[in-house]
Amino acid sequence: MKILFQARGAALQALFLIVLSIAIMVVDHRFQHLEIVRSNLALAISPLRYLVSLPATAGNWLGDWFTSHTELLEENETLKAEGRILNARLQKLEILAEENARLRNLLGSSRKIADDVIVAELLSVDQSPYRRLIEINKGSSDGVKIGHAVIDDSGVMGQVIHVNAQSATTILISDPEHAIPVQFIRSGTRSVAFGRGSTRQLELRYLPATADIMIDDELVTSGLGGRFPPNYPVARVTSISEDRIRGFVSVIAEPKAQLDSSREVLVIKPRQ
Amino acid sequence: MSQLKYLVIYASLVVALILMILPLPDWAQIYRPNWVALVLIYWSMALPRRVGLWFAFFSGIVLDTSLGTLLGQHAMGLVIIIFFNLNFHQRIRVLGLAQQAVYVFALLLINQGVVAWVEGIMGRPIPLLAFFSAPLVGMLIWPWVFVILRDIRRKALLR
Repeated sequence: MKILFQARGAALQALFLIVLSIAIMVVDHRFQHLEIVRSNLALAISPLRYLVSLPATAGNWLGDWFTSHTELLEENETLKAEGRILNARLQKLEILAEENARLRNLLGSSRKIADDVIVAELLSVDQSPYRRLIEINKGSSDGVKIGHAVIDDSGVMGQVIHVNAQSATTILISDPEHAIPVQFIRSGTRSVAFGRGSTRQLELRYLPATADIMIDDELVTSGLGGRFPPNYPVARVTSISEDRIRGFVSVIAEPKAQLDSSREVLVIKPRQ
Repeated sequence: MSQLKYLVIYASLVVALILMILPLPDWAQIYRPNWVALVLIYWSMALPRRVGLWFAFFSGIVLDTSLGTLLGQHAMGLVIIIFFNLNFHQRIRVLGLAQQAVYVFALLLINQGVVAWVEGIMGRPIPLLAFFSAPLVGMLIWPWVFVILRDIRRKALLR
């Protein structure tokens, strides 16, 4: 080792480092041993991440600071009005929830309505242009674990793939490496939705040509595979293309979640 | 005290790293030049004894961590181009900025090639436009990187 460090021949050193890189890549890809190195390094550069997200945070803060008194009063009025309307709706919802629980009891289903969730905020969105990863501000100290599903207020966003103490990396359902088991609400057909690297498109490959699918069909998680809890909205079908020769249908669906604009997300803890 | 001034090199790399993880709109992602590569090329050209292959390797590992790519992916690309640079730096240093920029384009393309190759093996081929756009922007930006870092180096009395 010492000889290598002092080696005059830069070529030998370069060769050694290239082989070392390849070895690290293979280990990183196949095994979990380097997860600890990665999370420690990530912790070391986390101040940079905060620094990068600072302009947006500071902008929001300044915006709040300079909101004028009248604007605040106006906003207060509208919020109060909104609050009244929402309260009225909430009462209706409570009644519905009660009714729902009663009916579920009647059916003998033991499924609870609410999942355990952790509210998290986005730290940074874009990393490599070839992947779709986001960084959230809750980590292992808040109970986030690898494999937990992440949603926003309108649908499934993705799942956690790396966890540090104070933050976690989430792979979005639009990442080309990600696939999520789904089910059509209307027909009950099960399938798997693959990411394509575009925020607005998921792909369902190799559906039988006889499958009952229409534009605007809603897709929810099927709960198969155990990663995602069932019945969360995932996407809406936007186009269907038939491959007549091979008898397959390929479907493009638009994710329900605001993959590129949500700031608040929920991490769902699976029930044990 | 004399060692302290070399902190400038690390500071410039930290700035480059910040530029790499700074949020950009979706369409602009593929035009983001590899700032870390540009800064490393400069320093290894100016101070080849201080900024060498190990420096490139560890910068690459840190870059991989912050980008969420496979550990070693950027490290390998950077080691390869810094190796070339260490061999050619004496001939390149005397060239004009425009000619240097073309040489830097070639280096960035090699680096991009390595990164794209690994992505390809993992089943994520990089689109053609994205492959060439980032090195191209890097080439156009090189003269400014060079002039700014040279001034910093002279101010800090590094040689």
